[in-house]
Amino acid sequence: MEEFSGRAGGPPDPADVASDALDGEPVWDDRLRLVFTCAHPALPMDSRVALTLRTVGGLDTGEIARAFHVPEPTMGQRISRAKRKIRHAGIPYRVPTADLLPERLDGVLAVLYLIANEGYLASHGEALQRLDLAAEAIRLARLVVDLMPDADEARALLALMLLQHARSAARVDGDGDLVPLPEQDRTAWDAAEITEGLALLEGPTDGSAPGPYRLQADIQAVHARARTADDTDWPAILARYDELAMLADSPFVALNRAIARGMAFGPRAGLDDLALLEASGRLDGYHLLPAAQADLLRRQGETDAAAERYREAIALARTAPERRFLERRLAELSSD
Amino acid sequence: MEYALFYAEGADALPYVAADDNVGEWVDDVEARGVSEYGERLRPEQDATTVRVRGGEVLVVDGPFTESKESIGGFDVIDASDLDEAIEIASKHPVASFGRVEIRPFMRWPDADPDERIVPAGFADEAPRGRRYLMLVVVEPGGERGAADGAPAEDDDPEAWVQEMDGRGVRRFGEVLRPPADATFVRRRHGEVLVTDGGFTEAKEWVAGFDLIEVQGGLAEAIEVASKHPMARGGAIELRPLWPFDVHEDHVARTEREAAERGLRLEPAAAEALAEVAR
Repeated sequence: MEEFSGRAGGPPDPADVASDALDGEPVWDDRLRLVFTCAHPALPMDSRVALTLRTVGGLDTGEIARAFHVPEPTMGQRISRAKRKIRHAGIPYRVPTADLLPERLDGVLAVLYLIANEGYLASHGEALQRLDLAAEAIRLARLVVDLMPDADEARALLALMLLQHARSAARVDGDGDLVPLPEQDRTAWDAAEITEGLALLEGPTDGSAPGPYRLQADIQAVHARARTADDTDWPAILARYDELAMLADSPFVALNRAIARGMAFGPRAGLDDLALLEASGRLDGYHLLPAAQADLLRRQGETDAAAERYREAIALARTAPERRFLERRLAELSSD
Repeated sequence: MEYALFYAEGADALPYVAADDNVGEWVDDVEARGVSEYGERLRPEQDATTVRVRGGEVLVVDGPFTESKESIGGFDVIDASDLDEAIEIASKHPVASFGRVEIRPFMRWPDADPDERIVPAGFADEAPRGRRYLMLVVVEPGGERGAADGAPAEDDDPEAWVQEMDGRGVRRFGEVLRPPADATFVRRRHGEVLVTDGGFTEAKEWVAGFDLIEVQGGLAEAIEVASKHPMARGGAIELRPLWPFDVHEDHVARTEREAAERGLRLEPAAAEALAEVAR
């Protein structure tokens, strides 16, 4: 461990080193240290995200504020409070020691994943996608992969981002409305991003069990390889969701797993799982639960029940394009 | 960098298991590494006395400054290389496994002597010359910041109090802490170290600093000392007697022996002690 005594005549105070670096123009070698400093677990999550975009990504405070729909002074405060904490709490400016590295790398990837998710599916607002944030997350993940080429989960996260981002042009139509995966024009997917994403998943691994990013990337890879929606290998996707469910007890994983079961073994199997999930109350108020139920009921021909679920989902939808998509589906039900 | 570690049983605390208590190993480790300055256990909150001065009158209550679910059970002052080392040290303390450890950096004054430590050299090995109390200086709403007569706010500056109490040999050490936003919480659950930010900005009351005092006149003198601190008027002062124990003793036997006195107030009633001050 590097030793900083912080006393007179000794090496520079770690707090000063970190805050000077945060304010300066980082050189390449400094970037990895910056990534870890900005994603330190002693900082609040929203500050980690903002600080990473600001100091590693080089975005200005106004851009970050607009991306997260908060007033610029609020974002400025968030960033300066985080810098203050780095200085005063003695958050180190260095790549963590080997024993801490896996855990701290998880923290860095969590920040990038959050940025990418916000880019992929905005949590609120008029636009469904925020390409600026998605592209920024990819840029930052590339940086981490370049700096730590042996980190499997970092490569997997970059692959996941690329495979999702590859579909961005096909995910919305000319009116800015959502186009669901089965209806997307697959020729509009970005072939270069898919090739790069798949290649990242093919390299040698460090032999450890696949982590959550690897499993999610594998799922996206199955979609990317399917020439048509009907070619999708749903049992393979379901197997990955089974593994994900073992790693993390997440209601969102349970939701996607239920959908995959419905696609692999028929709507009834999926609806049974979704009924259990609904009874658990863990996704109360989340629009994608009734939306998934509506979709499986529609596939099963239960039009009235599907319509009821679509109405529930519409009431809960958080972005305008999602709401319009659900309304269109509801309208299609009665016209069929 | 110097940090205060506060040990507490949080809202999500697991039961204390004396057989798993390895605090002796922890103390040996921090002493061998030279990061430990001083640390002690505190008597439970039944033995706390909170002192406030409002409108010039000294008010005392038996008990802690807040009905919080999290009560401080002990503290340490450490000198670590940075926050990661402080987190590592905190995570190995037995309280991290069932309660939580709060890491608070100290305020660092621009004119401070960089060689001076919070705890004076040799203090940890010194035999007490009187009854020791940890004096928690608390910021809370309703405090009279600045003097009641509208005199300048510099009156909140404890410098005169520090000089007086240092002169009387009552104050042994103490320092202002960085605000709660700079705190870090450490827990260990299922073998995993969980680090979270302080994020306490909404808290209405918080510990802004502490002093260790040593008095000959028991709780009455401690109340008199606390009531003179400007933050008794600006907030509250909580007095907690230290509760030393042999860290290398068998903790199962110790816990059994202490069970009876754990829930008791061994201190005199605060009101009686205050009456003694008046005499």
